[in-house]
Amino acid sequence: MPTMQNSATGDGPIISAAELAPALPPAPAQAWAVAGLHCAACADGLADLLRGQPGVTRAEVGYAAALAVVHAPEAVQRTLPEAVRRAGYGLAPATPADAAALRQREARTLLWRLFVAAFCMMQVMMLAAPTYFASGAEVPADLRRLLHWGSWVLSWPVMLFSATPFLRGAWRSLRRRQLGMDVPVALGILITFAASTWALGDATGQAEVYFDSLTMFVAFLLAGRWLELKARHGAALELSALQGDEPTEALRERADGSVEPVPADEVAVGDVLRLALGERLVCDGQLLDGATQMDEALLTGESQPVAKRAGDGLLGGSVNLGAPVRLRVTRRRADSQSQRLAQRLQQALTERPSLRLESERWAPPFLAAVLLLALGAGIGWLWVDPSRALMVACAVLIVTCPCALALAAPAARVASARALARRGIVLQRLEALETLARVNEVVLDKTGTLTRPTVLPLGAGAAPALQAAAQALASWSQHPMARALARLPQPGGAPPWRWRDVTEHAGAGVRGVDPEGRAWRLGSPAWVREGGPADGTPSADAAAALAFGPEATGAVLRYGREEEPLPAVPRTVARLRAQGLGLHLLSGDQAQRVQAFGQALGLTHVAGDCDPEAKRAAVQALQAQGRCVLMVGDGVNDGPVLAQADAAVAVGGASALAGRAADAVLLRADLSALPELIDQARRTQRVMRQNLAWAAAYNALAVPMALMGWLPPWAAGLGMALSSAWVVLNGLRLAR
Amino acid sequence: MDILYLLVPVSVLLALLVLGVFAWALQGGQFEDIEAEGERILDESAAKPEGEPPLA
Repeated sequence: MPTMQNSATGDGPIISAAELAPALPPAPAQAWAVAGLHCAACADGLADLLRGQPGVTRAEVGYAAALAVVHAPEAVQRTLPEAVRRAGYGLAPATPADAAALRQREARTLLWRLFVAAFCMMQVMMLAAPTYFASGAEVPADLRRLLHWGSWVLSWPVMLFSATPFLRGAWRSLRRRQLGMDVPVALGILITFAASTWALGDATGQAEVYFDSLTMFVAFLLAGRWLELKARHGAALELSALQGDEPTEALRERADGSVEPVPADEVAVGDVLRLALGERLVCDGQLLDGATQMDEALLTGESQPVAKRAGDGLLGGSVNLGAPVRLRVTRRRADSQSQRLAQRLQQALTERPSLRLESERWAPPFLAAVLLLALGAGIGWLWVDPSRALMVACAVLIVTCPCALALAAPAARVASARALARRGIVLQRLEALETLARVNEVVLDKTGTLTRPTVLPLGAGAAPALQAAAQALASWSQHPMARALARLPQPGGAPPWRWRDVTEHAGAGVRGVDPEGRAWRLGSPAWVREGGPADGTPSADAAAALAFGPEATGAVLRYGREEEPLPAVPRTVARLRAQGLGLHLLSGDQAQRVQAFGQALGLTHVAGDCDPEAKRAAVQALQAQGRCVLMVGDGVNDGPVLAQADAAVAVGGASALAGRAADAVLLRADLSALPELIDQARRTQRVMRQNLAWAAAYNALAVPMALMGWLPPWAAGLGMALSSAWVVLNGLRLAR
Repeated sequence: MDILYLLVPVSVLLALLVLGVFAWALQGGQFEDIEAEGERILDESAAKPEGEPPLA
């Protein structure tokens, strides 16, 4: 089982990891897939249970991803599955295969419970049928008693096996001194069973028994649970598939030294990969030459980069911070679970309900009101018609549906996350959906978000071999300019040189050694010219954005910088405006260029020469006006601004380092996914409001009916189940 | 209608028996792979019986 060192909490973006590092010595962390969570409150219950285990220093459980992260020594970790099994949870190592197996077991167990309940329901109804049609021939008393006893026997499998989730859930929440959704249901079931069992003792056989209602509503409730389980599993599957896809490609080195991009899944053990600066490693490997620093924060929580030398092992999922390197793959991607673990760990951690949703706060008082109402109804009916008092109280308990409050909100969010995942939008914080729906101002960055850099060769007649060499060197870097250069068509002719000892100097460029041992530089003209003859051609350099030349000699190739707007941008801008969002363009680029660009797009609020602080101030100013601001950037130097905004979206295809500060990441390299994200967030809010409205209407109608005694218990069960099924299905609409 | 005094207990027992049989089949892994039995006739390598003989 994989273990990781984790010493920091990955809290919201404004608080840095270092500030929150706990004082306790770190214990190894392990991620577990969880079964048996059917609502967010169950996740809390499991977290409490885990924290209560001796040796466990920290435990976090995320409901939608069904993931738990536990910090405990190895020996304690091994005992955890057994320890939680008695409470009705299941734990399995959080590898994709094990998690899928756990989900299948969970689904299957629920299906069997449903089958047993439905089967017994039909048998009990068959035995109860004669008493329904009491026309003409009366059923003799002792035969009636026999039928009741038969129903009693057949209700036992339902009580012992099928109703277990409700009884256990109620017990769990009562132990935590909270009123969970299961409490009224469990009370209703137990009271009905007890009262009906008591009625068996009646010699005349006239007393009513309600085993048919009992088995019926257990069956209906389980059917509702089944729907919700399928929804949740579908979302978890989609999310894990998506997050496991990033990054999708790696640069593999062929035997002749050229590189080819390969899908990450095809990388085999023994392949030699090239890892550029800022790129995330797809799988575990061993550093072949040079030295670099790797950021393993996603895996270990250590924000300090770890120095690596030739021969050191590299972890899949870590980010290269030092220099471009070559490495040999030691484990296939599917086997280095660390990457998937890391991403889902992050999701589990960020799902801590730091802001409890409004509607979830109402649930406990609502349930308390329900219990009081049932009690009141029971007492009231004791005066009117004592024989019916108990069943009226049970009907009130059963018919109220708190599902819209406690269940449908998570179901709606998870369904939305799934729909977004399918469109290439990774939602890193589910709660961000609410904020995204409220957004009315969008602040856009220019470079990387709306535009894509390209380079043009300046001057004429550069040797194709040199150009090819420059492009080969450029392919080692993830900097946008280098990538633009690498995107240019390769000049024909001999294959490019094979560069050795490539190092990247942040802010300056890339330095490599050619096969003959000469050092070359590719990067900013000043850096390339460094150490060279003082009478280099500064005028030519001034116009160039990128230069390439031997070290200490001066540039032999120059490239000018151009920008091209991403193709989908005008359309996206129009769509965003149609959604009623105010658009702002803040860029660190020259004011003139930014103005021209903004005007071309028809944007009015445009500002150039903005450093990150100026952007942050602008966002703050908007917020002071009471606007809800969404910041969209590629995140390379936008960290503080992303933290200041109410919601933050990072556009993919950019540095992986940006990922953690954003609420959502658009994996597509253009902005066209943003209107879809806003749409989905608004739809989610609408659906949740619909669910609340439905819950209110249903309860307002059903509870008085139950109080008046017009609702037989079986109808109460049917109503409850249909209502909860409706709410879940309504939430599932979002998944389309 | 006296026959009902026999039939009702018998049907209850029968229902319990059905549940028991399903539980046993589930425990025995009969429902793990539903396609396997159908594909077994096409399996060339299954010349000798493997594992438990199937229920007749």
